[in-house]
Amino acid sequence: MALLEIRDLHVSFPTMDGVVQAVRGVSFSVDSGETLGVVGESGSGKSVLTQTIMGLTRGARISGQAMFQGRDLLTMSQKELQSVRGTKIGMIFQDPLSSLHPCYRVGWQIIEMIRAHESRTSKAAARARAVDLLRLVGIPQPERRVDDYPHQFSGGMRQRAMIAMAMSLNPALLIADEPTTALDVTVQAQVLQVMQRMQQEFDTAIVLITHDLGVIAEVADKAVVMYAGAEMEHAARNEIFYQLHHPYTEGLLRSLPAYNSDRTRLQPIAGQPPSLIDLPGGCPFHPRCPYVMERCSREVPPLEPVEQNARHLSACWLPRGAAERAAVLPRAAGRAIAP
Amino acid sequence: MSDVLLSVENVVKHFPVQSSKRRFRSREFVHAVDGVSFDVRRGETLGLVGETGCGKSTLARCITRLLDITSGRVVLDGRDISTLSSREMRPLRREMQLIFQDPYGSLNPKRRVGSIIGDPFAIHGVADGAERKRRVQETMEQVGLNPEHYNRFPAEFSGGQRQRIGVARALALRPKLLICDEPVSALDVSIQAQVINLLADLQKQFGLTYIFIAHDLSVVRHVSDRVALMYLGKVVELAPVEDIFQTARHPYANALLSAVPIPDPIRADKRERIILVGDVPSPIEPPSGCRFHPRCPKAQQRCVDKEPTLSAQQGDRAEHTVACHFPVRPGEDLTLARPAIAAKDRIVEPDVVSDP
Repeated sequence: MALLEIRDLHVSFPTMDGVVQAVRGVSFSVDSGETLGVVGESGSGKSVLTQTIMGLTRGARISGQAMFQGRDLLTMSQKELQSVRGTKIGMIFQDPLSSLHPCYRVGWQIIEMIRAHESRTSKAAARARAVDLLRLVGIPQPERRVDDYPHQFSGGMRQRAMIAMAMSLNPALLIADEPTTALDVTVQAQVLQVMQRMQQEFDTAIVLITHDLGVIAEVADKAVVMYAGAEMEHAARNEIFYQLHHPYTEGLLRSLPAYNSDRTRLQPIAGQPPSLIDLPGGCPFHPRCPYVMERCSREVPPLEPVEQNARHLSACWLPRGAAERAAVLPRAAGRAIAP
Repeated sequence: MSDVLLSVENVVKHFPVQSSKRRFRSREFVHAVDGVSFDVRRGETLGLVGETGCGKSTLARCITRLLDITSGRVVLDGRDISTLSSREMRPLRREMQLIFQDPYGSLNPKRRVGSIIGDPFAIHGVADGAERKRRVQETMEQVGLNPEHYNRFPAEFSGGQRQRIGVARALALRPKLLICDEPVSALDVSIQAQVINLLADLQKQFGLTYIFIAHDLSVVRHVSDRVALMYLGKVVELAPVEDIFQTARHPYANALLSAVPIPDPIRADKRERIILVGDVPSPIEPPSGCRFHPRCPKAQQRCVDKEPTLSAQQGDRAEHTVACHFPVRPGEDLTLARPAIAAKDRIVEPDVVSDP
C-alpha cells in the first residue's frame, strides 16, 4: 500500500463570481523514499491540491479521498488532523519569511513545534534537537544561530530552517510547495541537496510542487503535469521528458529556452490559461493545443495508459501507440524533443 | 557614429547605512555597485547576470539616472550623462527606457492602458489628442495587444499582457536603449516565451540595443550576445555568451552554471554540481581582495590580499575577460579543488551529523 494515495480529488470554491473548480479529479500515490513532482503553471490547482491534503482549504467543497497510512485525511477531525500534521506530514512553503514568525527566535519556533507534539520532551532536550537539526540542514554555528530571529537569516538559511522545522518530528511525508522558487540558483542547489539528504536519511516521501521542469528533472522520481485543475499527464520522470504524450507537456518543454538552440524563436504555448470558473468544454487545453481535433472540444479525454504502460497516463485524444500516432500526425511522430 | 552606444566607466554606487544609533551615523556604506565598467554596442544584447543583491538592478538604475552614482561615468552616445541635472536629463530619457520585473506593481491600477502608454508622448510633448491616440494604438499593435483595449484598466489583463503594456510604454518614443530588468521572471514559462519572442522581434524591427538583466541563466543564454556576470557589486566575468556557457573561467561562474537545473534528466544525472558553501557576504563590509574568496574552492592567500582585475586569459578571445587570480582551466574539476587559505578567511560548512 502506498504511503499517500489520492483518489479522484475534487476541490471547488463557491465565490461571488461563480464556482472556482480548482482541482478536478486528481489521483496519484507516493511511496516512502519517493519524490513526486507536481508541475503546472499559476492557477493550475497544484497548491490547492496539497493544501487540501493538509486540511488547509477552508470554505472549499471537497470530494474524493486522501488515504495516508490507511486513513482518510479528508474525513479526519480537526484534532486528529492536527496530530498528523507536523508529526507525520511536514510542510514547506514557498516564502520562508512569511512562514516563520518574525517575532520569535528560530530555535524557539522549532522547539515549540517539537514540544507541541511531544509534551514529554523537556525544553533542554528539544533545544538540543533544534541545534542538531539546524546543523543537519547546513546552518553554520547552529549553537549560536539557534537564538537568532528570522530576519537575521538569509533567504536560503530561512528556507533551510523551515526544512529543519518540517523534519523535526521525522515525518513520513514532506510536502514542499515551491520550496526553491524565491531562491537564487546556487542557494536552490543547496536546499535541494539538503532535501535529498534528509530523504535518504529518513526514507521520507516528498511531494514537490514546482513550476520549474528543471527541478523535476533534478530530483523527482515521477511527475504529475497539471493544467486547469486536472491531470494532463502522469508518468515516471524520464517518460515525462523523453516519451511524453500530452501536447501540454510538450508545450511546456518547448517554451523553455534550454530546449531551443540559441537565438532562435522560442515556441510558446499560444493564448492564456482558462478561467477556472468558466472552463472550456471537452479537453481544457483544446483552445491552446496545436493538435486540436474536432472531438477535443466536445468530449473530455480520460486519463489512460500510453502504449499499454499502466504507469504512464495521459488525458489526450491523440492515439496512444507510437505507430498509430505517427500515422495521424506526422509532426507528433518523434515526440521526444532533443535539446 | 561610434560603435559603442553606452559606456559604463568605473561606476560606483554606495548607499549610506541608516543607523538608529546617532553616534555611528553614516560611517558605513552598502557597496551596492563597486567599480563596474563595460561597453554596450549598438544593436547588441548585453546580459547582466548575478544573484540577488549583486547590484545588477542598482546598476540599471544608475545607468538610467534613477539613482545618482557615487563616482564614475556613464556615457550615452558620446555624452557623459552622469553629471547632468534632471532638467538636462529629460530629453535624453527618450533615448533609454526601462522595463520592470513586476507587471502588477509597475502599472497604476487606476489608470486606463491608453493613458499609461500615452504618458511618454504627453511628458515629452510629442503628440496630442487624436494623434496621441493613434500612436498609442500603433504601439499597442506592435507589442501584440489589441488596440481596441485602449480604454481598459490593467486589472483586465493577464500577467503576460501586462508585461506587454510595460514594453509598449518603454517603446513608445522609440528609444535606442532598452534596459529590461527581469522582464520575464514573474511570468509562467509558456507566457515567458511569448514575451522573449516579442522582445527579439522588436529588437530586429527597430534596431534596439538591450541590457537584459535576469537571474535565469537559460533565458540570458537565449537572448544575449555578451554576458556580464556580477558578484557582490563587481563584474567577475565578461564574455561573449557562448564563451561564458562553454568555458567559464571564474570559479563563481562555474558554480553558478552547475547549479542551474537542467530540464533533461539524463544530463541532469550525469552532471557534477559544485555546491557553494554559505551565503553571499554582506555588501556593507565586503571581503578583502577577491570578494568571492571566502566561498571559493580555489582560494589562495593572494586572493585575500589582492583584488583581481578583469583581463583576458591565455587561450581565450580578447573579448573574454575574467577577474580571477586562478582562473579555471578547461577540463579542471572544481569539485576536487580545496581552498588554501586560513580558516578565518573562509566560510566553513558545519559538520554533518548523522542523527538529529
